[in-house]
Amino acid sequence: MNEFASLSPLLILVGASLIILLLEAFGQWSKRWLHSLIALASLGGCAIFAATFWGKGAGYFQGTYTLDNIAILMTVLFSLAGFLVILVSLSYMIQHGFNRGEYFSLLLFAVSGLIIMTTSEDLIVIFLGLETLSVASYVLAGLKKEDEKSSEAAIKYFLLGSLASSFLVLGLAFIFIHSQSFSLKEISFVIDKSENSPLFLIGFSLVLIGFGFKVALVPFHMWTPDVYQGAPTPITAFFSVGPKAAGFLVLFRLLRPFLEPIFSRQNLQIILWLLSALTMIVGNLVALRQKNVKRLLAYSSIAHAGYLTIALMTQDGQGLIFYLLAYLFMNIGAFSILIALSPNGQEFHELDDFNGLATRAPWLAASMSVFLVSLAGFPPTAGFLAKFYVFSTAVRQGYTGLVIIAVLTSLISVFYYLRIIVHMYMSKQISKITIKADDPILLVVIFFCLYGVLQLGLFPGRVLTLIQKAVLSLPPL
Amino acid sequence: MSPVAFFILSLLLFTLGALAFLFKRDLITQFMAIEIMLNAANLALVAGAKTWASLDSQVVVFFVITVAAAEAAVGLAIILLIYRQKKNIRSEEINLLKG
Repeated sequence: MNEFASLSPLLILVGASLIILLLEAFGQWSKRWLHSLIALASLGGCAIFAATFWGKGAGYFQGTYTLDNIAILMTVLFSLAGFLVILVSLSYMIQHGFNRGEYFSLLLFAVSGLIIMTTSEDLIVIFLGLETLSVASYVLAGLKKEDEKSSEAAIKYFLLGSLASSFLVLGLAFIFIHSQSFSLKEISFVIDKSENSPLFLIGFSLVLIGFGFKVALVPFHMWTPDVYQGAPTPITAFFSVGPKAAGFLVLFRLLRPFLEPIFSRQNLQIILWLLSALTMIVGNLVALRQKNVKRLLAYSSIAHAGYLTIALMTQDGQGLIFYLLAYLFMNIGAFSILIALSPNGQEFHELDDFNGLATRAPWLAASMSVFLVSLAGFPPTAGFLAKFYVFSTAVRQGYTGLVIIAVLTSLISVFYYLRIIVHMYMSKQISKITIKADDPILLVVIFFCLYGVLQLGLFPGRVLTLIQKAVLSLPPL
Repeated sequence: MSPVAFFILSLLLFTLGALAFLFKRDLITQFMAIEIMLNAANLALVAGAKTWASLDSQVVVFFVITVAAAEAAVGLAIILLIYRQKKNIRSEEINLLKG
């Protein structure tokens, strides 16, 4: 149970990022292959070491750090996301003028923040993990120092992010005043005795605001499109996958004791219902009038947060994690295509830049189509199965109204995803932008994401049983 | 003094901070407003420790102070970057990204 070794995934990441910082400070490097190699190796090591604790339920620090099976799955997922993001940024960072070693160590710090968030059942530690992630993310968003858009993304992310974390701290204070503890387990004991205390409900809503900001639920989504558009593209890919997955997993753990059917916590359910419906409707409708594909993908990620909230309400852990995994492959894939369209410090991400891509780079256009079709939720891709699992559980639990909204808004989303495909395949004029399709590492990542999307869509059995095992191994509350 | 008075004070401070964040148009002032909100939450945490005679939330206050310091370091650097580019730090002039 109490093993120091269970900290190894985190220690590897933090150690590697410190070593990279030292190398950067004291070494004379023009090429940073050693930095990237250390970063990649540490992410791989982190995933492998985490996997060795499968089924053991190890932990440390008196239960504030518990590497349970879900945490292991998420650690592997975050390491994979970090790994792919580093691979796709290798040539991008040189061409876009942020060829600095700090980039790798900041990314590793961000990934360790994500892991801290998902391996704890203590609100303080979750908060600290969130801040480790956030402070690193603010810098990452503004890494292109010469680009005013990048700085703008950083300042917007910073101001709104710290606003959200101050709400989170106040919420923690309220919860503590009500239940005398920060541990989720102890809080859930207290909650049985006092039904619907207003103090607790306020505290809980404030915490929900804090995390709703991170995962971009609708009244708190204002930063998302700006930050996604302004930040360097590989970082945007990371933002759209990592913090979202961690935020939803924390919310899943947080809400688990309070959504049991026996309690029928009406208030909480109504709040979540409204958040989910609003997020799906606003995200999809606003995406319709976007001309910039990077910004369009930002609104699409808001819409996906709405679908994921349905999985939260139904406490469908299996559906949630499968959705997050599918989302990782399709989103990093789509952003890798955008990276292929940003040569030499320029970014061609307007809709018209995609005109005639199918004739100029047929492979890129074909893979982009698969990712978009998957994001829209067509079979036989991972996106379809993910949505199918989440929606069918929701129907079984009687949330028919919400599922109808979800299906209708998915239909709307088909329109804007297909519009990009139409631009690529059916446009008469052909845009003259330069395409950077000769970077072998980028192509490997795109191919890997393509494989992931199709594998999860056609043969999800193995992954699903793995996730099911992890979810079933959660202790009953 | 009863802890309730402290809660009311902390809520007042928090609201003041939120209002300042909404209505001020200067990046540094907005950042200070956030610091006021964080400290209001700290006050509530300390009051909670007094109510329950427990040290848990006192410790959290230290964590929050540390986090606020880290955020300040990063935030001021970003504000400096904005100043170098635009020669001012008025938040309504940060408007390249919209739609």
